[in-house]
Amino acid sequence: MSETSYSVLGVFETPDALMQAIPKVRASKLGTVEAYTPYAIHGIEEALGLRRSPLGGMVLVMGILGAITAFGFQYWISAIDYPIITGGKSAGSWEAFIPIMFEVTVLFATFTAGLGMLFLLNKLPFFGHPVLSSKAIKGITRDRYVLALEAENETFDSQAAAQILRAAGAIEVEALPAPDRSPFLTSDYILRTLGGIFAACVVAGLAMYFLTKWFPVLAPMKYMQEQPRLNAQKPSSFFKDGHGMQQPVPGTVARGYLPTATGTQEEAATLVNPLPRTREVFATGRKVYTNRCEVCHGAVGNGVGSLTAAYGAKPANLQAQQFRDYPDGKLYWAIVNGKNSMPSHAPYLSEPERWAVVHYVRALQRAQNAKDEDLKVATR
Amino acid sequence: MSQTKNTTNLLWGAVALGALGVLGSYAAAGHERFWANWILWFVLLFTLGLGSLFIVALEHLVSAKWSVPIRRIPERLATLLIPSVPIGLIALAALPVLYPGSRPEAAHHPLLAGKAFWLSLPFFSVRTIISLTLCLLGLWVLVGGSLKQDATKDPAFNFRARKFAPAFMAIFALVITLIAFDWLSGLTPEWYSDIFGVYVFAGAFLSGLAATALAVLHLQDEGRLEGVRGDHLYNLGGFLFAFTVFWSYIGFAQYMLMWYANLPDEVIWYKVRLASSWRLITLTLAGLHFVLPFFALVTRDSKKDPRRLRRVAYLMLGAHVLDVYWLIFPILGAPRLSWPELSFALFFLGGILLWIRGAMQKGEDMPVGDPFLREGLEFRL
Repeated sequence: MSETSYSVLGVFETPDALMQAIPKVRASKLGTVEAYTPYAIHGIEEALGLRRSPLGGMVLVMGILGAITAFGFQYWISAIDYPIITGGKSAGSWEAFIPIMFEVTVLFATFTAGLGMLFLLNKLPFFGHPVLSSKAIKGITRDRYVLALEAENETFDSQAAAQILRAAGAIEVEALPAPDRSPFLTSDYILRTLGGIFAACVVAGLAMYFLTKWFPVLAPMKYMQEQPRLNAQKPSSFFKDGHGMQQPVPGTVARGYLPTATGTQEEAATLVNPLPRTREVFATGRKVYTNRCEVCHGAVGNGVGSLTAAYGAKPANLQAQQFRDYPDGKLYWAIVNGKNSMPSHAPYLSEPERWAVVHYVRALQRAQNAKDEDLKVATR
Repeated sequence: MSQTKNTTNLLWGAVALGALGVLGSYAAAGHERFWANWILWFVLLFTLGLGSLFIVALEHLVSAKWSVPIRRIPERLATLLIPSVPIGLIALAALPVLYPGSRPEAAHHPLLAGKAFWLSLPFFSVRTIISLTLCLLGLWVLVGGSLKQDATKDPAFNFRARKFAPAFMAIFALVITLIAFDWLSGLTPEWYSDIFGVYVFAGAFLSGLAATALAVLHLQDEGRLEGVRGDHLYNLGGFLFAFTVFWSYIGFAQYMLMWYANLPDEVIWYKVRLASSWRLITLTLAGLHFVLPFFALVTRDSKKDPRRLRRVAYLMLGAHVLDVYWLIFPILGAPRLSWPELSFALFFLGGILLWIRGAMQKGEDMPVGDPFLREGLEFRL
């Protein structure tokens, strides 16, 4: 044992012997006392006089942060950014978030525990520690408990340290050289480790590639390919009629398209046009009228459209007194339900489009029956 | 000694007073309420006893050494299974009153017709009798054998128990599932949940653990159980901590699946418990059975702090009572808590405490014949 050695290890047979030796070795004040054991021994940090590890607090904080993150993210996705109603549950249903909150809590907490312990608290990577190349390391990873007296300055007396350790009950004593504090990638150890990992990846990748190529029967997982499923526009043996796509159940209503004007035309008379008479509404009404009504009812609504002659039926003359006296609701009812040979336009027109057409028809009627004061308004 | 005698007299007084209230409630409070209370205490007594026996069996199953010095405590608590037999047999009289499945109309009920035979009174009674008998068998082999070992010091018992423990685990799973399905979910036979037995198991194990921790701490106060240290308490605290989470996990898993599927026959059970004043009790249960003990035991030191552990153990026993109350009482409508419930609590709590006090005075405090006792005492975390 030379005077330049960095630390002296004392090997103990049981954790109890180690714990009993700690106060004696610390009392010698020869250097820093450090312990190396195969597993965590409860109470050893108090015995060594170490400050309380902040890891527990870090894990708690990160765990709670994980829960909050998962909740916030799911809530934002499913209630704010892109609310989709699934399974008849309201958009921000916390019950559905819990499993993912649980997982993310565990993820954040374990990562904090593992990485925080290795990198923040134990200051890895640090591969040149002399204990790793000591004779005692095999015991440390198996069934021996080691106490180290480490040099604090140049005056460290390794022989005195060895004596103290022996006196405290160490069955073996070993002196170690100073640690290799060379930078990360120059360490042989790390280069060999990284090289080994790289080689293992290459070998495993090649092996997998050729195994699945030469032995295609050994498909690793086919469950997802072979599951019974329904594809759009494809036949399927699942349903009796052999179609993958099915009609919605009779009476199905699309969200936002509740049926309106379901009674008789007389009952619809009381419906009030909810739209204001603005330029935009009249523009919509005009567009819809041109697209869907004009061919039969005519550009001015007089029942003479381009199709009228060819078709043979007699479309309503919307300029007739009967229709000028109609309340808005009855016009609306006719658009929704159709009348005589006119089919229902409900499938093609949205609720606002239907009412906009009603407004436009009113405008057509008034234009054909203009009074003097209308002219004043128009020219003003 | 006189203090002990005073406590015993006090407990006998509580039992006598409680018994008066129990008889009174049978006469005045209606049969349904009487039997609901009776089943509440039968289930509590049974889960406490069986949960304790599970701790004993678990030790033998995995050959745990750390728990050998405190094994006598759950062994003594497991003897509560003996009084639970007559209590359970009397409870069979509640079948026509509270259990729709055991009434003859069940055969014509569209949802129950298929299960009518399973739920019928004779088969229900047979299952309960078999369950109780199996429990007594486990008690006889595991606890009786251990007591005998005190005198014989024969290590053969350890090998026998180790062989019997796996079989007992199968028995245990069967019995606790049967009791949970029959006595608790049988109250609303249209409702079913596959995981319900596991949910009740979590509660039973927790109540056994909490009672064990409390008894250990009390005996330590009296200067007994010398050699049981913070390391042993830490393990008990760790188990308590882990299984509060387990209970919540199972409880929430059951809720979430039913909430998601939203099937009328499943979700009604929760709808009742989330409506009106039951909603508050449900939330309280989640707070007392999970949130509070979780944060009380989350740090390392709190698990071996006797004061903290004692409070959490009391809390867990209370939460278990609330849990079983929450499982049973919604069938009566609004939550009930008045003199019948208090009389039942006096009667049964007094009786249970008297039984446990008696059991704690008998024989050795530790299994002195167990060859692993020394190793258990030397246990370090």
